[in-house]
Amino acid sequence: MNRIQSKLQEDKKLLSIYFTAGYPNINDTVTIIENLEKNGVDMIEIGLPFSDPLADGPTIQDSSTAALKNGMTTEVLFNQLKDIRKTVNIPLIIMGYFNPMFQYGVEAFCKKCQDFGIDGLIIPDLPVDVYHEEYQAIFEKYGLINVFLITPQTSDERIRYIDSISNGFIYMVSSASTTGAQSGFGEEQTAYFERIANMNLKNQQIIGFGISNNETFTQATKYSKGAIIGSAFVKHVTKQGINTIDNFVNVILN
Amino acid sequence: MKLKICGMKYQDNIEQVAALQPDYLGFIFYEDTPRHFDTKIPNISEHIKKVGVFVNEEISTVIEKVNEFNLDAVQLHGEESPYYCSILRSTKLFSNDTPIEIIKVFSIKDKFNFDILEAYENVCDFYLFDTKGKLPGGNGYRFDWSLLNNYPSSKPFFLSGGIGIDQVEDIKNFKASQASKYCYALDVNSKFEKEPGLKNTSVLREFINKLNNKKTMNYNVDDRGYYGEFGGAFIPEMLYPNVEELRQNYLKVMAEPDFQKEFDQLLKDYVGRPSPLYFAKRLSEKYNAKIYLKREDLNHTGAHKINNTIGQILMAKRLGKSRIIAETGAGQHGVATATVCALMGLECIVYMGEIDIARQAPNVARMKMLGATVVPALSGSRTLKDATNEAIRDWINNPVNTHYIIGSAIGPHPYPDMVTRFQAVISEEIKWQLKAHEGRENPDYVVACIGGGSNAAGTYYHYLHEPEVGIIAVEAAGLGVDSGESAATSVLGKEGIIHGCKTLLMQTNDGQITEPYSISAGLDYPGVGPMHAHLSKTGRAEFLSITDSDAMEAGLELSKLEGIIPAIETSHALAIFGQRTFKPDDVIVVSLSGRGDKDLQNYIDYFKI
Repeated sequence: MNRIQSKLQEDKKLLSIYFTAGYPNINDTVTIIENLEKNGVDMIEIGLPFSDPLADGPTIQDSSTAALKNGMTTEVLFNQLKDIRKTVNIPLIIMGYFNPMFQYGVEAFCKKCQDFGIDGLIIPDLPVDVYHEEYQAIFEKYGLINVFLITPQTSDERIRYIDSISNGFIYMVSSASTTGAQSGFGEEQTAYFERIANMNLKNQQIIGFGISNNETFTQATKYSKGAIIGSAFVKHVTKQGINTIDNFVNVILN
Repeated sequence: MKLKICGMKYQDNIEQVAALQPDYLGFIFYEDTPRHFDTKIPNISEHIKKVGVFVNEEISTVIEKVNEFNLDAVQLHGEESPYYCSILRSTKLFSNDTPIEIIKVFSIKDKFNFDILEAYENVCDFYLFDTKGKLPGGNGYRFDWSLLNNYPSSKPFFLSGGIGIDQVEDIKNFKASQASKYCYALDVNSKFEKEPGLKNTSVLREFINKLNNKKTMNYNVDDRGYYGEFGGAFIPEMLYPNVEELRQNYLKVMAEPDFQKEFDQLLKDYVGRPSPLYFAKRLSEKYNAKIYLKREDLNHTGAHKINNTIGQILMAKRLGKSRIIAETGAGQHGVATATVCALMGLECIVYMGEIDIARQAPNVARMKMLGATVVPALSGSRTLKDATNEAIRDWINNPVNTHYIIGSAIGPHPYPDMVTRFQAVISEEIKWQLKAHEGRENPDYVVACIGGGSNAAGTYYHYLHEPEVGIIAVEAAGLGVDSGESAATSVLGKEGIIHGCKTLLMQTNDGQITEPYSISAGLDYPGVGPMHAHLSKTGRAEFLSITDSDAMEAGLELSKLEGIIPAIETSHALAIFGQRTFKPDDVIVVSLSGRGDKDLQNYIDYFKI
């Protein structure tokens, strides 16, 4: 069983953290991953930076631009992750835009992921239909779980389709927005969370976008298996560096 | 083997079928058939012979029809005798001096006695073998062609009866066999019809191409939103509902008579269309070719961009949107969008790179005067690419009430096709305007500059499937294609994904999108529309790249020779005359996509005027 699937079977709410690889410094990747695991994070999204991250707000855009300036590339990231499974056990997901993977070669990319113990991918601009028609077989060959997004605007019919193609979890975008745009959830969001929870989907949901503290984490996980924090964590390392990750995680979980 | 297409009935359809250049077109004057021809024959190429089809008709009526419709041949489908044929052959009553061709039809069922032909050997020009059925012709099924192995004559014949596109292989086998030795032409009819008398031109085109072993290439978007391997909709799920709503509705809305009427009316009264097609006499003399300029610079707001924004604002209104967003580089599309928003009273937000805002102050002021909010794009390289990213992010954050007016033939499907269709008015007008000037709709070349490629897409659209029309696409080489400061995407780009579509784009080996350079703010886009990527990859279009300095000189030259100061984008298209030679009788139409007012400061700085 894939590490993501095992993790989803644990009887607890999951905290997943996104960070941009190569930021704030090019060689922070492994340290960040190890520290996150040590402090009780359940799953990690390793952001492969892209020059034109359409679905991201300023925080992640800026960290991506900085990471690229630092010299981060697909090859550099894979080199950094080569021995990651000697020290880290929690599920690792690479999150990035499709073009860098496409240039690397989708199959070559997937093979490297398998070789180095990456469990899944999140590719916001690879639509589910294109994945289904062209790439699903490759992802499955290398044991990778592809995670799809749904939003408050996604129709029930499409959610069912996405559910049928998924075999890990569904990334539930909390509101119509880019990353880092929201603070706190209103009635509209909780109604949406409830609606999805009541659909009894095959795959569990993890909520992302707009989670930045203990309050929003608790709110989101009331309706779902877990929550993902991205921009808030990137902001934290921007301000405080990578030595106080324990503080950040503790504040969320307690 | 020649081709005859029979059973023509409708004027428009006759013109469309004639454009496929068959050797013969048949008009049936026999009244007892749904394909009975009873209107006028439009002007068609004199290389296509017009055949009148008759069944046991009075000879005097046949002569009358030949004279009235200026027919080149008669096809006799009844029991006309050798004597009947001989009269038609020798009569002096035809008004035309050229003798008419006489085609005598024989219907074959399971067997055929070829002895009957002997009496007709000296009184007709061709035989035509058809399948014997209930009707005299047009029965839609074929006879056993191997019977023609026993053909005793050496008179050329037409092969007819139920020939369709599914028989291309049989026809090829027949052509390779002895039975086809005297087969002069194929005669097709009912298997290529949408309804009796109405021919399906696309199936006919495919049939002709298949017979000639030409691969049929489609240069338009397909059902999946692709041009060959380019296009598609690579968008985050957050955008899916917006783009899907548009995809499901755009063709439907564009086909509504009300929409068309409003669009045409605004193009005429507000934009000032049709834009003139101007014969540039002095430029033509200088370069020894016949150069026409399609004057998009004379449109309201000074460029072709407004054709698309008019179309899209009407689309947005019909989709119930109240808020409009757009991206802009030099500000031309931003101004065109702000203009139509003012016209329709809709809120307008234009994203523009911070660097471009500083470079293009007059256009920023125009947009503000028109009531738009100009939002600086502060991310990435702070130019057009980033303004586009910001507009997309805005759309993600405002999915319900907002329509995004993309300014070029780029973005996720259906944008490239929708923008192309709104801009297609350019080539639609060129067709009839050139016919008035030159007596023909098709020039030898159409030429346009390409950034994302919207003016080019509109200039090429109605010529994409006219193989005799050469398509020339002109990209910005910047300081030179190999200088590292260029925007020549077809040369420097690789397949990849930008702003929601798969196309050619300039990027690093690692797939990071790079910043292009050109002196022209409208051509420095790192990608190119997916249709153009397809035209480049298939070789349908010839791609040229022009440096900053050659473009600037061409802009100055047009100003001095013709009294027209072009936009620097357009100057790139004009600069090809210094780089590529044409034949003296070549007719070349250049899209004069925009006027140079906005570039005056650039011209001043460059030439130290």
